Amino acid sequence: MATADDEHTRAEQGTGWRSSWPARYARDHAVHLAVVLLFACYPGIYHVATTSQFGLVFESFLPQVQTMTPILYFGLFAMSFDFISGYTGYLSFGHAVFYGTGAYLVIVIANGKIPLLAAGTPFMISVVLAAVLAALIAVAIGLVSFRLTGVYFAMITLGFAQVFYVFIRGWDWVATAPRDGPSVSFGTHPEGFRIGIPYVDGASYAIGRLYGSGLEGFLGLFDLSTTVVSFYMIGLVVLVCYLAMQRIIHSPFGRVMIAIRENEERARAIGYNTFYYKLGAFAISGAFAGVAGALFAGYRRSVTPENTFYFLTTGDALLSSIIGGLGTLAGPLYGRLFEQGLDEFLSKGSEGGGLLPMLQEYLSRSILETNALGLTIEEMIDAFINGRASLYVGIVFVLFVLFVPNGLLGSLRERVGGPIAKLPGRLFGGEKP
Amino acid sequence: MIDATLFAAEVVPLSIVDAFVEFLHPSELVGVLVDGLSKAAIYAMIAGGLTLIFGLMGVLNFAHGSLTMVGAYLGGAIMVLSVSSATGPMTRLAFFFVGIVVVFGALSAVGGALEISLIRRLYDRPPIAQILLTFGLTLIIDELMRIVLEFYDLQPRADWIAAWGTKPWFLSQRLSIGPVDVRGLALFEILMGVLTVGAIWAFLTRTRYGLFIRAGSEDSEMASALGIDVRRVFTVVFAMGTGVAGVAGMLLMWDTLWGASVPLGAETLLPAFVVVIIGGLGTFRGTVVAALLVGMVDAVMTWWFVNEIRFTGLPELTIFLILVIVLIVRPQGLYGVEGVGGH
Repeated sequence: MATADDEHTRAEQGTGWRSSWPARYARDHAVHLAVVLLFACYPGIYHVATTSQFGLVFESFLPQVQTMTPILYFGLFAMSFDFISGYTGYLSFGHAVFYGTGAYLVIVIANGKIPLLAAGTPFMISVVLAAVLAALIAVAIGLVSFRLTGVYFAMITLGFAQVFYVFIRGWDWVATAPRDGPSVSFGTHPEGFRIGIPYVDGASYAIGRLYGSGLEGFLGLFDLSTTVVSFYMIGLVVLVCYLAMQRIIHSPFGRVMIAIRENEERARAIGYNTFYYKLGAFAISGAFAGVAGALFAGYRRSVTPENTFYFLTTGDALLSSIIGGLGTLAGPLYGRLFEQGLDEFLSKGSEGGGLLPMLQEYLSRSILETNALGLTIEEMIDAFINGRASLYVGIVFVLFVLFVPNGLLGSLRERVGGPIAKLPGRLFGGEKP
Repeated sequence: MIDATLFAAEVVPLSIVDAFVEFLHPSELVGVLVDGLSKAAIYAMIAGGLTLIFGLMGVLNFAHGSLTMVGAYLGGAIMVLSVSSATGPMTRLAFFFVGIVVVFGALSAVGGALEISLIRRLYDRPPIAQILLTFGLTLIIDELMRIVLEFYDLQPRADWIAAWGTKPWFLSQRLSIGPVDVRGLALFEILMGVLTVGAIWAFLTRTRYGLFIRAGSEDSEMASALGIDVRRVFTVVFAMGTGVAGVAGMLLMWDTLWGASVPLGAETLLPAFVVVIIGGLGTFRGTVVAALLVGMVDAVMTWWFVNEIRFTGLPELTIFLILVIVLIVRPQGLYGVEGVGGH
């Protein structure tokens, strides 16, 4: 024990290269770096795995690259939901408002409906405006809602969200058929939305499966399809947003948020004006939800009230957060990955592989056509498993609420005894937990 | 330009005044009143079970809407299987009331089983956990229902039309009473609403078990100290609440404005929440008053939408605005007591 302690003190006092700040910084972010690398290599891994000998198996289990992009931007939305709900303990059941605001604003700007903003306004500026508008709406809703707590807070935010939902569904200014939602018109915005430095063509790439940029001979080695370029560009924005939120959580401001969750009365007694902290956290969370919505609209170019403002959109974020771990910032992204991975695995279409094509390949016909209870095995899989992902996600979700209340990342964190990002530091740098 | 603005300034107020005069015409007013009462009856029925459960146990049951939907399909199945085109109207009504008993029994059993197996584990966790659990249950229930429906070749998203056809003829027509012209089903819904509210009221105030429930709502620790088995009371209340949800679903299955479909779950859940929260979480009286208020506002706004203001979501929008305003002005609801539900 004594030697270990000695090593701790030496590392802390700053002898040797191990305690120089770049080394410390790299250690603190080693896990982040590893995860980012894994995500960055994913298109390549997917390509190699699916064209290998066991291609069909990998194709069945690994989500497609085009599934990963929505996972990233929706994961950002779920993270922003977790930012307020998981860290301050206020369940924001109307979070879809901010997502929807971001999505609709991008499309309305691209259709040239906002005075003073040309239809060709760079996407990055639209994203920033979406974040600002969503934050303003969050402040307006928060000013009223943070007078309430617990279930009542969840309900009043839900009420506000439904007001927005019903309103946007009937507002014919945003779209000619507001019930079906707006889409970016080809007439005013024929090119894809570009992520990068605005007004510099070489430093920005367009996203979207049809309108995005493809890169031929990238680094003289690869050809990147529009899907892969969109994956990288959206991933970049999500990464920046994640790091920003992570920084805030680890700042004194974030500590007060956690104090509010643990015991708001005590936080107030120490002298923090918790109302303003909650409001600030809500605005920040709303802004990032707005960014997520903007990315969604930029990628898909058309949205509906149902997949933006409806309360079940918040429900999806809630699912991801619970499965991934409420109160762990990165958790919701993994939750979404799990959920969508399962969804694709059990999907009805043959695109992206799935359970049934794999079984058809590896099991003999006679097994699949075995009769049991009046149905063949194949028919049973088709009726009870294929396309029924939401049933199994629901079951997994209920099991998580009952038995794994901390979620995937939260449980891992508990096992390890601290945030995962600190693990390499403790293992290799001799830092105390 | 100037001409156009003058024109608009003249016409808009006049047409609104005209509309007001038309709205205040007795036959229109009575029509709106009956419509409002029928809506209030439905709101009271879908929210009644929810408020019982919340008042006693503090569980905000997100699966309530889905259980209503299950009740609608179960009731519809009973009616479609038992009624043929030759069945007389009185026999159909009789089947309906038998169906209500069956649906109430079946869904009570489901509710009791859910409480014992799942919800009971979460009483000592923060109230958010129960919201989450019941939200997960809706996913499971909805998807299971979709499997069953697709097995019988029914469209999960569309209303079940065969179930509408099992109404007695006098409920599917408009009835003229003097100058007033009302939907036959509206009167039946008012009757059913009054019966349901009356039955719950009598149960709460006139039976020994109702006394236990009221005691448990007030102070469950004290009640259990006095020898009441609060755990059993919880199970019974949860079972009753889901049973009432099923009965409401059975009624909605006949109504062409609602109809049995899988989205019915989400469609009923939100108004039920609104009514429960406006009334004050946990007071049955408040829920009934709030149902009247919301039903009336809904009917009035529907009239204005149909006749004057061309904005599709007007009634819904107003209902959610009432929720927001009530929560701002009187967070505990109209009849709520401060301190219930984690204030």
